[in-house]
Order: sequence, then structure tokens, then C-alpha cells
Amino acid sequence: MGVIVKKVELTWLDRSYVWPVFKGMAITFRHFLKQITTPTSKRFTIQYPDMKKAMPPGYRGLHELKRFEDGAIKCVACFMCQEACPARCISIEAEEFSELNFTQGFEEKRPSSFKIDMLRCIFCGMCEEACPKDAIWLRNEYELAAYDRLSLNFGKWDLINTYATVDGKARLAQSQESPATPSRPTNSGHQADPA
Amino acid sequence: MESVAHSIGLSAVMTWTLLKVLIVFGSVMGVSSLWTWVERRGSAMLQDRIGPNRALLFGRWQLLGLPQLVADGLKFFFKEDQVPPHVTKRLYWIAPMLAFVPALIGFAVIPFGRSFSYQGALYHLSILEPGNGMGMLYPLAIGAVAVYGILVAAWSSNNKWAILGGMRASAQMVSYEISMGLAVLAIFMKVGGYDPGEIITEQAGVLWKVLPNWFIFRQPLGFLVFFVCMFAETNRLPFDFAEGESEIVAGFHTEFGSMKFALLALAEYAHMTTASALIATVYFGGWSVPFMPEAPVLLTILFFLIKLLFFMWVFVWVRWTLPRFRYDQLMFLGWKVLLPISMVNLIGNAWWMTRGGH
Amino acid sequence: MFLLFALITIIGALAMSQQKNVIVAGLCMVLTFLGVAGLFLMLSNPVAAALQVIVYSGAIMVLVLFTIMLLNSHEEEPAIQSRPIQRWVGALLIAVFGAFAFRIVMGSKALVDINTLADANTAVRPMEAMNLAKVGEEIFRHYLLGFEIVGLLLLAAMVGAVALTKKEL
Repeated sequence: MGVIVKKVELTWLDRSYVWPVFKGMAITFRHFLKQITTPTSKRFTIQYPDMKKAMPPGYRGLHELKRFEDGAIKCVACFMCQEACPARCISIEAEEFSELNFTQGFEEKRPSSFKIDMLRCIFCGMCEEACPKDAIWLRNEYELAAYDRLSLNFGKWDLINTYATVDGKARLAQSQESPATPSRPTNSGHQADPA
Repeated sequence: MESVAHSIGLSAVMTWTLLKVLIVFGSVMGVSSLWTWVERRGSAMLQDRIGPNRALLFGRWQLLGLPQLVADGLKFFFKEDQVPPHVTKRLYWIAPMLAFVPALIGFAVIPFGRSFSYQGALYHLSILEPGNGMGMLYPLAIGAVAVYGILVAAWSSNNKWAILGGMRASAQMVSYEISMGLAVLAIFMKVGGYDPGEIITEQAGVLWKVLPNWFIFRQPLGFLVFFVCMFAETNRLPFDFAEGESEIVAGFHTEFGSMKFALLALAEYAHMTTASALIATVYFGGWSVPFMPEAPVLLTILFFLIKLLFFMWVFVWVRWTLPRFRYDQLMFLGWKVLLPISMVNLIGNAWWMTRGGH
Repeated sequence: MFLLFALITIIGALAMSQQKNVIVAGLCMVLTFLGVAGLFLMLSNPVAAALQVIVYSGAIMVLVLFTIMLLNSHEEEPAIQSRPIQRWVGALLIAVFGAFAFRIVMGSKALVDINTLADANTAVRPMEAMNLAKVGEEIFRHYLLGFEIVGLLLLAAMVGAVALTKKEL
């Protein structure tokens, strides 16, 4: 399949090379004027540390482990995301979540540890798609850098809190949660935020 | 002037010359280093970018990115002065100087303001006094020597890319010098002299009642040739065959680092300054102010500066507009286009003058 | 000043003949040319100085160096055999040539004039500076025939060079 190349017939003015040079210089000068009169905030360049690009809604950035309004984690430790992960960066350990056994008549699982190695993660979004409970989201945060490898190994509490400041939610920490668990009121499914 | 001269134990003439040397070389160096900044910011603006603006003075003032200049200079000074093991040592050391000095001293003959008399003595605002017999031949001669900086740098670094760059540069400069000389010759003929001062005074007055009597309006063909040749002489895009970074790494300065590289880079800008001054002098009336035959001295200096800086800006502007030529296109342009044009210009002018025209 | 330029010229020339490296020798030759240009300036002939720099050091030597680089002979090949006879003949020729040159210079009219003027203790007449107009006048008025012949010769050389390099005309 050949492509028919159309030969462009240049006029003598264009072939003189001088006139096209002037045209080109006019174009660059127009760009110059436009750029120099545009305020910094409206230029194409986003000056990164001072300004940040707003990511589109579908962007797959840093993960968040979602939680219910009462602060309980949505994840049920079904291992679907761990299986779906092509980079094998998710490692979950499940535990029994036993006090619901008495209140609601069933036992639940929850992760005792939920780790994502951000150095291995390729941000493909497979975990998000695999999750039956909508518990893991990939959101718009993209500044993932650290001075050592360990700090990029995100644990459960890190993942719960990744967007806490952005959403204006209180940060949860293990120290707050562990004493709170036994003293949780047993007659209601909903409760106030532990913080 | 006399008292100042006496206090430092020199004659008045010597003091004046010394002062001029300091002013001219200082400002040429200042302008050329400033132009590295203009080039970077200007090119950024021409290409819808922002350019260097992260270097801060004392961690606070951005000043349109000007501290980048200081930062670069400091970096070049404190870098390790590495000499690659395979270079020809002595030539490698003198090459940056060979490149820089001709670029700088080419400015010496150009008057940057109107001559004025003060307390009965006449002062000329050019380092070499007018009537020195060299006139415009001097910048041509210096331009001819300037190629050695590149050639020596290229050869001494013992690197194939560098040698390719140096050979291209030398071939290019030799071939464009002829057209340039012929273009200037037409000016000499018109003026009846070859001193820059004479060339400038010839351009005083008004042409057709609306235009200043500059040579660009009287010899547009010659201007075109001269202008293009100036680009070739300064090794700027679209003629930067000496370094052509997409083809031969960085050409003649591939092997140079730290302050040696800085000197080579500055030489290009100093060359640009001299070339702009030449263009302004020969084709745009030098320091003469249009429509003001008796302009005050400071105004003439200001006008010369404006013209100079404008043409330096044009150098930047063209660099970021036009792509590099192919080598055969360069030779084609030099020998088969510019040379005939300049010849036609010269002979046409000669014919016109024999018919009594001006 | 004269001594400075003369020294530059002579040192350049000597270094050129002694230098093993072709390129460095060429650069020494450029130095010599620049020294000669300086000497021209001393003789108040700035036009000749400028032309010397433009033509010799600017164009011709660049072309010579260009050709050397093109041939890419970086290392000097050692001589296959020493040639003592040639060396002695060369030295003898240089001596003879030098002696004649010395005699010619010493016997030249200008030098005699200077000597007699100095003897007569008169103020030495400042030499009038040469300029381009005078050069043109000399060439086109007094030496027109020579100029034309040289031009013709160069044209013939150019045609010959083109004819030699072009395979089919």
C-alpha cells in the first residue's frame, strides 16, 4: 500500500529562502510576545514545586484504603487484590474480627496487615478493579519519593491515612485503634469517629 | 582628564586609551556573559517555555533568573579542571585563549559614540583612533584569525568529533569570508574610504525624505550577504557546524571542561557582540542617531548600544527559529549563492557609480 | 617593539622548522606570519599588515592546516634513513642564501638613506602611512601590467586545478 506523495510546488518567493525566514521569525516572535505577556500562572509550564498539576479524575496515583464512617476498615481481606496484582506488591495477612460475632451474628475478616511495596507497584489499577468491596482506591496523589526503601513500604495505617489531610479527615493510628476495639459499644453498627 | 592622568603618572592620551580599553572590553565581556542569560530566557520565551529561574540570590531573590548567571560562573570556576589524557597538552591549554582573545579585540576599531572635544582636545570613542590605516580591514583580519581558536581546540583534543567540527568550522569560515569581504568592499567603494568613522559619517542624513541614510536601504543585497556571513563567522545557528550537537556531540569543545569550556562558550558570545557592532556600524549608521545630525554624545552612545543589543537579540532570535543547514547546503549557499550575489552587488555598484549615481 | 616582532617572527620560523608535529609546525608558521604583520605595522604600512593577516594567516594557513587534518597524519613517521649529505647541502644553501640576503638588505637604498640621515643628524622624516587608496593607486596605475599578469596566472592555475580534479570535463 503506497502513499501518494503530493509534491508541493513552491513559489519563487518561497524558494528564495529569505521570505520564509522572515515568516518563521515572525512566528517565533509572536510566540515570544505571547509568552512574555502571559502571567506565570497561565503559561503552559507548571512550575512544579510551586504549582502542581491537578490530575484528571481517572488518574491512578497513590492508593487509599477506604474506611467506613465509623472508622472501620472496608477491606475484608479477601486477597482478590493480592491475586490480581501483576507486580505482586500487595501482601495481606488476615485476621478474625471477632466482636461482630456477637452483635451481628457473623464473623468477619479484616487485614491484620496490608502492605503495598510502592517501589514495585506499577499503578495499573488492577487491585482497584478486583476489589469487591471498593475498599482500595487509586487516587490523584503522585509525589512518591523517599530517602530510603523501607519508607516506601506502606503498611495498613499508612494506606488508610494517605488522603486523610486532603479529605479533611482525622488520621487513624494503630495506637488509637487497639484500645478502642474492646470498648466499642456493642449495640450499634455505627459509632462516632474514634478520634 | 589632565589631573587624573597626572595623578596616576601617565600621559593624558595613555590614560584616555586605557580608560577606553577598560570600558570597551569590560562592557563587551559583560554583555557577552549577560547574553548567555538572554539566550536562555529568550529562547525559552520563543518556544513557550520558562527558562532558568530556580537559582536564587541568597536563597531569596529570583530576579528573572539572573542569578543563574552567577551560579553558572561559580560552577565553572570551582569545577575540577580535568585535562583528558589523550590531548596535546600545550595546545589544549592555549586553545580557549586563542578563541577568546580575537573575539574580544575585534571590537577595538569600532567607534561607539560621536567624537567630542573637551578643553580643546578631541576625544574619539573607539580604542583605535580613526585614521589608523587599518579601518575596517582590522575586524576582517581579526575574524580571519578567530578560526584558529576553534581549529586548535579541535585538533588538540584529539577526538574525532572535535576534529570533524574544527574542519567544518574552518572550511565554513574560509568560504564565507570571501563573500563578506566583497560585500564590505562595495561599502568601501561607496564611502571612498574604509575607516569606520568615515562609514558612519557617510550614513548621516536622510534618504528619500523618510528613511535614515543607512546602507541597509542603499545596499540591501550587500546587507543580506554580510548578515548571513556574520552568522557563519560567529558559528551561530543556522551555521553552527563547529559544534552541531546532534551530529558530532559538541564539536570542537567536546573535550573541554570547567573554565576552559566557559571561555570557549564566552568567545562565541563575544564574537556575537563584535559581529553585531560591525553590522550596526556598517549598515545601520553606527552611533548616528536618525534625523538628528547634531545629537549629544551620550545619546549617540545610547543609540549605538540599542543597535548593538538589537542585533545581538536578532542572533538569538534567528538561532531559535532556523534549523541547522546540511553541510552541502552550507557550501552551496556560500559559494553558489552568496558569492555571486556579492559580486553582482559589487559590480552593480561600481557600474552605478561610474554612471554618476550615489 | 621591533625587537619583539622580529623575535616572534624568528622564533616562530625556527620552531616551525624544528617541530616534529605537522600541525604544530603550521601553527608556528601562523605565528611567524603574525610577527611579519607586526613588522609591517612598524613600517607604518597597516594595509599590508591587515592583508598579511587576512590572506596568509587567515586563509592560506587555514587551508593548509585543513588539508593536513584531512590527511589525518597525527604521528610523525620516523625517517627511514638519515641523509647527512642533504643536511650539509641544505645548511650550505641556507648560509649562501642568508649571506646574499644580508648583503642585499644592507645595500638597499632605504637603509643607506636612513644611515646618511642619521649621520647628517637631521630629523628622520616620518614615513607616510600607507592606506588602501594608495595601494589601489599603485597597483592600478604603476603596476597594472604585473597585476594583470598575476591575475591571469592565478586564473590559469585555478583552471588547471579544476581540470586536474574533475574526471570528466
